[in-house]
Amino acid sequence: MRFTPTELTPAELELQAEVRDFLAAELPRGTYEPALGMGADHDKEFSKKLAAKGWVGMALPKRYGGHDRSAVDRFIVVEELLRSGAPIGYHWVADRQTGSVINKFGTEEQRERFLPIISRGEIGFSIGMSEPDSGSDLASVSLRATRTEGGWILNGTKIWTSSAHENDYFICLCRTTPMEDGNKHQGLSQMLIDLATEGLQINGIPFLDGAPGFNEVVMTDVFVPDENVLGDAGMGWVQNTSELAYERGGPDRWLSTFGVVEQFLASHVGTPMGDRAVQSLGSMVARYWGLRNMSLTVARMIDQGAAPSVESALVKEMGTRFEQDTLLKLIELVDLEPSPESASMFERMFTAATLTGPSFTIRGGTIEILRSVASKGLRS
Amino acid sequence: MSTTSHIKPISAPDVNVDELLSDAAAKLFRNVSDFDAVQAAEAARWAPTVWKAVAEAGFAWIGVPESAGGSGGTIADACEVLRVAGAHAAPIPLAETGIIGGWLLACAGLPLPDGPVTVAPGRPDDTLTVTVNADGSATLDGSLHRVPWAAKSDVLALFDEASGKVIAVPNSAYTTDLLTNMAGEPRETVTFAAASIPADAVAEAGPQVTTDALRNRGALSRVMLMAGALEAMLNLTVDYCEVRQQFGKPIGRFQAVQQHLVWAAQDAALTKMAAQIAARQAARGDARFEIAAARSLANECASTATRQCHQAHGAMGMTQEYALHHLSRRLWSWRSEWAHPGEWSGKVGRFAESVGPQNLYPLITAGSAHLS
Ligand SMILES: Cc1cc2nc3c(=O)[nH]c(=O)nc-3n(C[C@H](O)[C@H](O)[C@H](O)COP(=O)(O)OP(=O)(O)OC[C@H]3O[C@@H](n4cnc5c(N)ncnc54)[C@H](O)[C@@H]3O)c2cc1C
Repeated sequence: MRFTPTELTPAELELQAEVRDFLAAELPRGTYEPALGMGADHDKEFSKKLAAKGWVGMALPKRYGGHDRSAVDRFIVVEELLRSGAPIGYHWVADRQTGSVINKFGTEEQRERFLPIISRGEIGFSIGMSEPDSGSDLASVSLRATRTEGGWILNGTKIWTSSAHENDYFICLCRTTPMEDGNKHQGLSQMLIDLATEGLQINGIPFLDGAPGFNEVVMTDVFVPDENVLGDAGMGWVQNTSELAYERGGPDRWLSTFGVVEQFLASHVGTPMGDRAVQSLGSMVARYWGLRNMSLTVARMIDQGAAPSVESALVKEMGTRFEQDTLLKLIELVDLEPSPESASMFERMFTAATLTGPSFTIRGGTIEILRSVASKGLRS
Repeated sequence: MSTTSHIKPISAPDVNVDELLSDAAAKLFRNVSDFDAVQAAEAARWAPTVWKAVAEAGFAWIGVPESAGGSGGTIADACEVLRVAGAHAAPIPLAETGIIGGWLLACAGLPLPDGPVTVAPGRPDDTLTVTVNADGSATLDGSLHRVPWAAKSDVLALFDEASGKVIAVPNSAYTTDLLTNMAGEPRETVTFAAASIPADAVAEAGPQVTTDALRNRGALSRVMLMAGALEAMLNLTVDYCEVRQQFGKPIGRFQAVQQHLVWAAQDAALTKMAAQIAARQAARGDARFEIAAARSLANECASTATRQCHQAHGAMGMTQEYALHHLSRRLWSWRSEWAHPGEWSGKVGRFAESVGPQNLYPLITAGSAHLS
């Protein structure tokens, strides 16, 4: 484990200023309901505008429409988007992980087919990993792919597939060779699947507050052509593990409730805060500062060619717990019976955050699983 | 961790702490501030061999300009040495002699003594009155509390805000009691009975010295010490969980124990990063935000990590004969020094309040530079 402090270069600070200016013009505070981090709305127009600025697919190669920018540059852009609660839902998954995975493991044809539209913010990807009987034990997935002329026939069910109802594609982890001798890591493959394919049915599962978002994706004899198998058939586990690494340690793992804290401060403008509130706020701000520096270091290490898997698991485990802690600190400071229909922006956001809060430490791998990953790399 | 250990530390172009310095400090403290030395210091209320080695290496005066009799280097260099000293529970007033007391004396153009310097952290129950006489001498009456190693220090460096003077109070001017902190480090009550301090030991403090600047240095020193102690405590605990076996396997294989280790590792990493950034910023100048934020974090992390590391050790952590208490007792003590409850998180909160909601995130990214 190693976290070496880093800071932004003058060029990186310029990018930060540019993103702030863009957001101040596009999304003036008070004119929209800020999202809670990455759980943001889909807004295809907004995704396109961002892409036009060169801020989608930043880390992808130029020859596929990307921008050859660093992990730190992407960090700078997404932290500003997330802390503003910008509507990034449509391109989020493709930008964070799918593009990089296709670039790393895909065929030349797949790169040419997908990376330019990802970089233009014109395609929405979902994640097809979890199944009814496979959550944390992801390698146990059983969605079956059988060989056929020119491709594969898929049968089975994926679940908790966020935004499948409004996205275009998903990467589906499936079993292309039946499990032998309990060796569950073998015989898995990742497939790029058009969510409008025949035989693929998307059933909405309401989120606990009634909102859409979750889905069950039922596949009945879905045909996937060979050219949509990502990378090598049978290498799905290794590729999938690599994909999950993109989900860790970034600003999306500690900024989900920042907007609520900001609104808390906004609700006090003009009335001085009491000592207890100020100390509690200070403690949160200090932790944002510390977490941000650790998370920035992870991005810097990636740019230096390292694989900071332990570091990013530590940051995600700590960051997502902190997101929940902020809500506990706030509820101690305010006299509220929170209502989602309240006239107060703070109260509405607090309510939404409380209702989605438990998912912070579950989605993308639970904190229990992350601890197992992180604990393996603690020896100095 | 082999995958990342080749990464070079990224130092800021303007503040560059030489790795050779931390290596040299680590070597020295490992040799002299070992288990027996730390243990013996508690009974003897002093660690002469540790002090001698540190003084001979010049480590006590890093960050104090050579022109003022110090060893030169920046406050960031001095902080790195403090961090290493914290990791080895070094039982000497290193920060008091250097970046707190040494700084006070140097700012006022007063000479540095050969031996240790101490500083009073300023407690609510202090009763000291300072009278600066017409001839430039000063008369001190009353008492100061929780003064580190006052009995063993050559000089107590005192800043009197009312008169704007720094006073180099000689050891002979006061008496001390036998109080210690929870780690058995002397934190004495210093009592003056109309003590007269000659004019050549009383000097204009100079524009740099303010009560805020002094408290920031005191707070930063404890952040550095805690960062070192947290990292050492984590390493000790990780090692112990590999070696200690129960139910036929190392206890570190149990998920419940892994949780203790992971949470302690986060506390250690967070505090170290915060400490190093605060030190870097202090070397540049205004570090109000970074020091307060680092201090708020360090205090929280000290509380949680000691709990995790003790739990992972079982009974072994509860004996004098095992090194954990050298670190945990210091962490419990240091988190309360140069800090009254809520002081540092409260400062961060007031900074946030002063910039307002629109500028809250810019404050988090730019720190003190964002404060006017
Ligand atoms: C908001 C949200 C969005 C999601 N979006 C998607 C998506 O788009 N695509 C997708 O594929 N999935 C998605 N998921 C699913 C997510 O990946 C899983 O919830 C997660 O991997 C955990 O699996 P599970 O829910 O089946 O819990 P389980 O694996 O059943 O775990 C239940 C509890 O048991 C614990 N546990 C399980 N195994 C162990 C172990 N070995 N050691 C210790 N504790 C253990 C877990 O930590 C947890 O506390 C989403 C989840 C949420 C909450």
